[in-house]
Parts: sequence; C-alpha cells; structure tokens
Amino acid sequence: MRRKPGVGAIHKQKYEQERYRDKGTELQENQFEQMTKQLETFRINLEEFASKHKNEIKKNAQFRRQFTEMCASIGVDPLASGKGFWSVLGIGDFYYELAVQIVEVCLATNYKNGGLISLDELRDRLVRARGRRQEHQEITNEDLLASAKKLKILGNGFSVVPISKGKYLVQSIPGELSMDHTAVLQQTSNAGNAFISKSLLQKELKWEGERAQKALDHMVKEGLAWIDNQNEEEPLYWFPSLFTACIASKT
Amino acid sequence: QSSKMTEIDWPWQYSFPPFFTLQPHAETRAKQIAAWKSLVLDYFRTTKQAILDIREIHSTPLFNNVSIDRKLPSEVVSVIVEELAKSGNATPLDKAKLRWVVSWHTLDEW
Repeated sequence: MRRKPGVGAIHKQKYEQERYRDKGTELQENQFEQMTKQLETFRINLEEFASKHKNEIKKNAQFRRQFTEMCASIGVDPLASGKGFWSVLGIGDFYYELAVQIVEVCLATNYKNGGLISLDELRDRLVRARGRRQEHQEITNEDLLASAKKLKILGNGFSVVPISKGKYLVQSIPGELSMDHTAVLQQTSNAGNAFISKSLLQKELKWEGERAQKALDHMVKEGLAWIDNQNEEEPLYWFPSLFTACIASKT
Repeated sequence: QSSKMTEIDWPWQYSFPPFFTLQPHAETRAKQIAAWKSLVLDYFRTTKQAILDIREIHSTPLFNNVSIDRKLPSEVVSVIVEELAKSGNATPLDKAKLRWVVSWHTLDEW
C-alpha cells in the first residue's frame, strides 16, 4: 500500500528544487561568462583580421562577397549597425556610402524613369560617378543589392523588384507595387521589350481583361509607364526604365 | 553637305513611341511637354527656321518620326506651341493660330 508523502518529504523535495535552481543559475552565469570571454577573443581576432584585410574588403568585390556570405551563414548581419564590431572592418561604411550614392542616382534619373531603374543602369551611372580608380569600378550588382536592401529601413520608398533571372529593378518611389504590378514588369522584361499590352498580359499570365487593364492603369498613374495610342491593334504601355535609348541617354 | 536630319541631336524621347501620344497622367504629361518644347526650339535653331504651320507639320521629321511610324497629332502640336507662346518663344501669325513664328530667343533676351 502506498503512503501519501509526508511533510518531511515535501520539504525535502522543495529543498532539492531550490538547489537545482541555484545550480541552474550558476551554470547559466558560467556560460555567460564564457560567452563574454569568447566574444572578447573574437573581437580581438576580428580587429587583427581587420587591420590586415581592411583595404582588401574595400577593394576586392569577391572578398567582400565571401565575407558577407560567411556572416549570413552564421546568422550575423555585418551591416545591421555602424556600432557593431564588424564595423571595424569598414564594411558598414562601405555599404552606407553606396546607399547614399544609390539614392543620388535614383533622384537624378527620377525625372525620366518615374523612379524605376534597372540595377544595371544604376550600376553604370554609379560607377561613372565614383571615378576611374579600380576599386570604384569593381562595385558589383551584389554590393548594390545588399546596400539597396538596407535602404528599406528608411521606410517604404525603396524596394528591389526581381524581374527575371539575375535582373532587378530598383524602385525609389513610395507607391508600393503589388504582385500584379511586379508581374507586369516581369512579363515586359522577360519578353525582352520595353512595352506590354493588355492582350499580351491576358495571353501570358492568363488574366481577365479587367485585371490586366487595372494593373496597366496603375503603372500609368504612378508615372512608371507611358501610353502609346498609335499602335494599330491596341494601346501599348512603355516603360522608360526598360527602354534602351533612355537607359543609355546621359541626360 | 549634310542633311537636316543628321544635324539634329535627337533626344532619347524622339525614338520612344509614346512620346507621340499626349500622356493622360499629369506629371508625365508635364515632362513630355517640357521635352517637346526644348526639342522644337532646338530643331528650329539648328535648321534655321522660324515659321511653324500646323497644316504642314507632318512634312517635317520633327513631328513625324517615320522610323518608328509615329506622328505627333496636330492638336498636340497646338498644345506645345501654346506652351511656347507662354514662355515667349512663339507668336501666332493668324487668328486661327495655324501659322506661328518660333523664336529660340525670347523677345526679352533680344
């Protein structure tokens, strides 16, 4: 027959629980101390690394990519703050500087493309503006993407729209593009054209006429697309941001 | 020795088909008209012309880009000369406003 636990047993259990808890905090504190030590060592190592390779990071695009990839795989964002200890590497500075230049290029071309620019054109203009030194020429599209993504933090206004494999548009206007609007851009770019039409959208995306028209009207309303009424079958909608002569134009 | 065509430094808009359709969106239309204004002045200066006749506009490459098969409709040309008149760059010669004098310098500048 089982006896109910007596008062003594309950006391004993409570006492043991408390001891476990104490041991737990002790262990946690130990771990914390260890972590602090590890972080300190890490910081020292990183500073050493930085003093050796800082210039390499600024100059060498591939090195930069490998470093940021490594950071991503261990789950740290070297760009999250200018105060993080990664900033000893100057990686932060490098990307913040790029971000400012991205904003400048977008503002300077806004009058003709309505605030939509292909990543390639953005890169061309930015590299031209930075000057002839080798390190200025080696800015990669990946650098620009990393930088442009940071601009999102400033609120909606900047976004990166993937349009086809390896092709991106950078949008620098507050109007948000929905899935449908993005699909319109993707379809236009995939066809290798700077224009699209209602019937093309209906055919390629299997959309209802009304849905296609609504998406096109939105693009016009945002100043991203121009209407061409002189095509025989139906109006065409043209994007200056995808139009070669506009992209190449210096003014 | 060279034809009138080659002397003009055509802006990118000239090969952009919707440039020849008056844009419904106010902001885009403002950009379009501004670009047309400077193109018209540039064209008249380069070709040393002064008279613009609305009835003859499509005989000049300025408003008729045969390579992309686009023409600027005459009512849009009227909108542009009216805009040019506002800045003192155009003066109508008849009541119906079909013939205009275009001057790339405004009277004030002379």
